[in-house]
Amino acid sequence: MIPEVVQRIPLQYYIFFASALFVIGIVGVLTRRNAIIIFMSVELMLNAVNLLLIAFSTYRSDPNGQVFVFFIMAVAAAEVAVGLAIIVMIYRNVRSVDIGLLNKLKW
Amino acid sequence: MLSIISLSIFGIVNLFLGFLKSRRILLPATLLFLIVALILNSMDWNQQALYFGDMLRVNNVFVNFAGIVLITALLIVGISRHFGNDEEHTHPAEYYAILLFSVTGALMMIGFENLIMLFVGVEVLSVAMYVLTGTDKRNIRSNEAALKYFLMGSFATGLLLFGVAMVYGATGSFKLGGIASYVQMASMYGAVSPLLYVGLLFLFIGMLFKVSAAPFHFWTPDVYEGAPTIFTAFMSTVVKTAGFAAFYKIASTAFAGVYGFWAQSLAVMAVLTLLIGNITAAYQGSFKRMMAYSSISHAGYLLLAVVAKVPSSQSAILFYSLSYSLATVAAFGVLMAVSESRQFEGRGDDRYEAFNGLAKTNPLLAFVLTVSMLSLAGIPLTAGFWGKFFIFSAAVQANLTSLLVIAVLMSCVGIYYYFRVIIAMYLKPAEGEGISVSAGFTLTLVLTTVLTLLLGVFPDVVKNIF
Amino acid sequence: MPILTTLIFLPLLGAIGLLCLPDSARPVFRWVTLVLCALHLALSSWLWLSFDKQLIGYQFTETFDWITLTLGQFGVISIDYALGVDGLSLPMVWLTSLVMLVGAVSSFEIKTKEKAYFSLYLLLTGTVVGCFVALDLFLFFLFFEFMLLPMYFLVGLWGGPRREYASLKFFLYTLAGSVFILLVMIALYLSAVDPAETALSVGLVKDRAMITDQVLDQVHLAISQLQVDPAQLVHTFDLRYLSDPANYVPESLLSTMAGHEIFGMSARLLAFALLFIGFAVKLPMVPLHTWLPDAHVEAPTPISVVLAGILLKIGGYGFFRIAYELFPDGAVYFAAWIAGLGVLSIVYGAFNALSQNDLKRMIAYSSVSHMGFVLLGLAALTPEGANAAIYQLFSHGILSPMLFLVAGVIYERTHDRSIDGYRGLATPMPSYAAWTAVAFFASLGLPGFSGFIGEFFSLMGAFNSTYVPVWMVVAGGFGLVLGAGYFLWTFQRVFLGKTWTMHDTSVLTDLTFREKAMLVPLGLLSLAFGILPGTLFSITEGYVMEFLKKF
Repeated sequence: MIPEVVQRIPLQYYIFFASALFVIGIVGVLTRRNAIIIFMSVELMLNAVNLLLIAFSTYRSDPNGQVFVFFIMAVAAAEVAVGLAIIVMIYRNVRSVDIGLLNKLKW
Repeated sequence: MLSIISLSIFGIVNLFLGFLKSRRILLPATLLFLIVALILNSMDWNQQALYFGDMLRVNNVFVNFAGIVLITALLIVGISRHFGNDEEHTHPAEYYAILLFSVTGALMMIGFENLIMLFVGVEVLSVAMYVLTGTDKRNIRSNEAALKYFLMGSFATGLLLFGVAMVYGATGSFKLGGIASYVQMASMYGAVSPLLYVGLLFLFIGMLFKVSAAPFHFWTPDVYEGAPTIFTAFMSTVVKTAGFAAFYKIASTAFAGVYGFWAQSLAVMAVLTLLIGNITAAYQGSFKRMMAYSSISHAGYLLLAVVAKVPSSQSAILFYSLSYSLATVAAFGVLMAVSESRQFEGRGDDRYEAFNGLAKTNPLLAFVLTVSMLSLAGIPLTAGFWGKFFIFSAAVQANLTSLLVIAVLMSCVGIYYYFRVIIAMYLKPAEGEGISVSAGFTLTLVLTTVLTLLLGVFPDVVKNIF
Repeated sequence: MPILTTLIFLPLLGAIGLLCLPDSARPVFRWVTLVLCALHLALSSWLWLSFDKQLIGYQFTETFDWITLTLGQFGVISIDYALGVDGLSLPMVWLTSLVMLVGAVSSFEIKTKEKAYFSLYLLLTGTVVGCFVALDLFLFFLFFEFMLLPMYFLVGLWGGPRREYASLKFFLYTLAGSVFILLVMIALYLSAVDPAETALSVGLVKDRAMITDQVLDQVHLAISQLQVDPAQLVHTFDLRYLSDPANYVPESLLSTMAGHEIFGMSARLLAFALLFIGFAVKLPMVPLHTWLPDAHVEAPTPISVVLAGILLKIGGYGFFRIAYELFPDGAVYFAAWIAGLGVLSIVYGAFNALSQNDLKRMIAYSSVSHMGFVLLGLAALTPEGANAAIYQLFSHGILSPMLFLVAGVIYERTHDRSIDGYRGLATPMPSYAAWTAVAFFASLGLPGFSGFIGEFFSLMGAFNSTYVPVWMVVAGGFGLVLGAGYFLWTFQRVFLGKTWTMHDTSVLTDLTFREKAMLVPLGLLSLAFGILPGTLFSITEGYVMEFLKKF
C-alpha cells in the first residue's frame, strides 16, 4: 500500500523533523520581539503540523490527515488576513510593530 | 444542527442589513436571529443524530450547552447599546455579524465529534474574537489587546494542532470514537504509543490556553482589560462555556482510557489556576482586571469538575457555566454603564473607585451588581452557590479531597475581592451624579438578576434538564 | 396557623413592607419594627407555653417539598422546607425574639438611613429564627449564610470608624467556617438517604400515608444489604434522618461501617472536625475568635446586642444540633480536645478581658470566656454538662445584651468607651451604676443570677465526666475567678471613687426611660432564671436525655 519511495525514509525522521520545526517555531514566538516575526513563527508551527499530518497520513494510507491539512491551510489563511490587519492597525497608531512598545497593559 | 446553519446565514444577513440607512434595526434583528436560533436549537431536544459526515453530534448535552451559549449571547446583545452611536463602534452591522459567527464557532466546538470540527470551531470562534477585541481602532489599549490575543491565540492553536497531529499519528483517527477505542484497547494491553501521550499533552495545553487556565493564563488579564467591555463579557462567558464543553468532551470520551495520566497533571493545573486566579484578583485595583482574574479562578473550579470526571461532572459544568455566565454578563453590563459615564485619566474609569456610592445614585444598578457578585462568590440563594455546590459534589464523589480543600479556601479569598466593589457601592460616599441608562439595557440586567435569583431558589428547574 | 413559618416570615415581610414605605414615613420605621418585634415575642412566648415538655422529638413540625434534584445514576436529592422545635431550639427561638425586641428599642438611637437599617434588622431577625427552627440541614445552612449579609451591612454602614475592616473580617471568618460546613454537607447528602422517600421511589409502598416503622426497617435492611439500585435512592438533608446511622448507605463516605479514611484520618472524624471548626468560628472559640472584638467595637450598640445575644448562640446551637447529633463518635473522640479548647477560651478570654481598656472590647472578650463554658459543658457529655451548656447559651443571651447596653449608654453620652476615661460615675449616674452592677454581678456568676447556674453546672458536668481531665475543670474554675476579677475591677475603676472624667460632666445624665426599659427587664429575667432554673431545665431535660443516648 505505502509506496516504496516513501518508505525509504522512516516515519521517525518525519516526526523528528516536524518536531524540530515546531520547536523552532515555539522558540521564535517566545523570544522574538517583532510582531511579524512572531507571526511567522506561528506559521512555522502550523506548517510543522501540516508536515506531520501528511507523513502520518501517508504511512497509514488514510486520506483523513491530508484533508485536515487543507483545513489548516484555509483557516491559517483566514488567520493571516485578520492578523496582518491587526498588525497594520497597530502600526498606524504607534509606527512600530515591536511588541516591547506595547506596554499600556501590564504584560 | 439547524441552529448552526441558521446562525451562519443570519450572520451574512446581518452584514447586508448594514447597507440600510437605519441602524436601529440591527439590534432587534440580531436579537430575533438569536431567538430563532434558540428555538431551532431546542427543537433538537431528544433528537440524537450525527451530521456532516459524522463530524457533529447533536444530543441533549449539545442542546443544553448551545442553549447556554445562545442565551448568554442574547443577553450580551441586549446590553450592547452604543453600537453605531459613538466613535468607538462605527460598524454595528459587522460587529453583530461577527458576533453571530463566533457563536456559530462556539456551537461547533460544543457539538464536535471529529477533531477537524473541533479545530474549525475553535478557529471560527477565535478569529472572530480577535477582530472584536480590536474594534476600538483608535484606542492603543484595544489594539494591544487584539495583538496579544491574536498572537497567543494562534500560538495556542499551533499547540493544539500539534497535539491533534500526534494523536492522529498514534491512533490513526480524528474521530472521538476511534480515538477512544484505540486508547481503551492500548491501555488495556499496556501498549499506549508515546505519541499519544505527547499529543494528549499538547492538545490539553492548547485547550487550557483557550479557557485561560494557569499557567497558560497570562494573556487573559491584558486582553480582557484592553478589549471593549462588551466583548470582554462575550469572551469570558461564551468562549469559556464552549471551551469547557469541548474540553470536558474530549477528556471524558476520547481520553477516558488514560484518565490516570492526565488527571494528575490537570489536578495540579486546577490548583495553580485557583491559586493564581484568586490571589492575584485580590490585588487588583481595577474592577475590570479583577474580573479577568476572577474568570481565571472560575476556570479553576470548572477544571475541578473535569478532573473529577464522574457522571455528574457534566451537569455540574453546565450549571456552573450558566450561573457564571449570567453573573458575568450582569457585572460587565454595570461596568460598561459606570465606566462610560465616569472618566479617569482620559478614558472610561474601571477602577473600584468608579463604583463609589453607586447605591445612592443608581440603586438598581448597584443591586444588580451586588447579586452578580454574590453569585460569583457563591453565596446561597444565588445561582452561583448551586454551581459551586454541584462542582464540589462532583469532587467529593471523585475523592479529590486535597483539591477540594484548596478550592474551598480559595472561594473564601474570592469573597474578599468580590466584596470590594460592594463596599465601594454601599459604604463609600457618592462621587458624581447618577448614570442614565436605556430601558432595554436595564431590562436585560434585571433579567439576568432575576434568573440568577430564580436559579438560586429553584435550581431543580434547570438542573433536572441537564 | 403554621407558627414557625410565621415566626420566620413575619419579620421578612415586615422588611419588605418597610422598603415599600415612602421616605416621608421616616419616623414610623422604628415603631413598625418595634411593634413587629413585640408581636414576635408574643408569638414565641405562646410557642413556649404551648410546648409539650413530655414529648420527645420535634413539635410544631412543618414539611414541604422544596427542591428535588435528579442526579442521574446517583439517585435523587430532595431538599425540604422542614421546620420544628424541640427542647434545644425552643429557648433559642424565644431568646431571639427577646433580644431582637431589646435591640429594636435600642435601635431608636439610629439616626441615619433608617429605612435601610430597619429593613435589614428585620431581615436579620427572620433569618436567625430560621436558623434555629430549620430541620433540614440545607435550610439551616441557607439561613446561616444568608444571615451574614444583613449583619455585614448593619456593621458596615452604621458602625464605627473601622467598620469596613471589621465587617469584612466578620464576614470572611464566618464564611470560611461555613464553607467547611458546606463540604461536610455535601459528603452527608451523598452518604445518607431518606428511607421514607426511598420506599416510595422503589415502589415498596404506594402512598406516603402507608409508611410505617416496619416499612422503614425493610428499607434500612435493603439499603444495608445494597439491594437498592443507587439510581432509586432518595438522598436527603433532613436532620432527622441524618442523625440515624441506619440511613447511611454502607460503603458511602460517612457511613459508620465503611471506615473510609482521608489523609490517614477517619472520614467521619474529619467531618466532625470540619463542622466543629465551622461552628467554633461562630461561637467563637479561641483561636478563631479574633473577629469578635473587632466586630463588637465597630458595631452600633443594638447590633452588638444582637451579635452577642443571638448570633453567637448559633455556633453553640450548631454544635448540638449538627456536629454532635450527626457525629457522636467524633464528639467522643475529640471530647478532651474540645474541653481543652473550651478551657483555653475561658482563660484566654478572661485574661484578655482583664487587659482591655475599651469597655466594649472587654465585654467582647468576656463573651469569648463565657462561651468557653458552653464548650466545656458540651464536651463533658453528661446530663449536667449538656443542660448547663444550653443554659449558659440562654443566660449569656440575656446578660451580654445587658452588658453591651451598659457600654452603649456611656458611649452615647460621651462617645468614649475607654475604661480609664471615667471615675466615680456612681455619683452623677446612680441608677446607671446600679444596673451596671446587676449586669456585672450576674455575668461574673453571682449565685442567684442565671450566669451562676450555667457556669456552675458546666464545671460540675465536666467534673463528673469521664472524658474531661480534672485539671481542665480546675483551670475552668480559675477562669471564673478571673471573670470576677475583670468585672469587679472595671466596676471599681469606672463607678467608684471621686467623680472624674475628661468629658463635660453635664452630659453625664442618668438613665433615660428607654434605657431603663431595656436594662430592667433583662436584669429581672436573669434574676428569675437564676432563682428558678427549673423553668428552663424542664424544657431542655427531655432533649438532653435523648441527646445523650447517642453517646
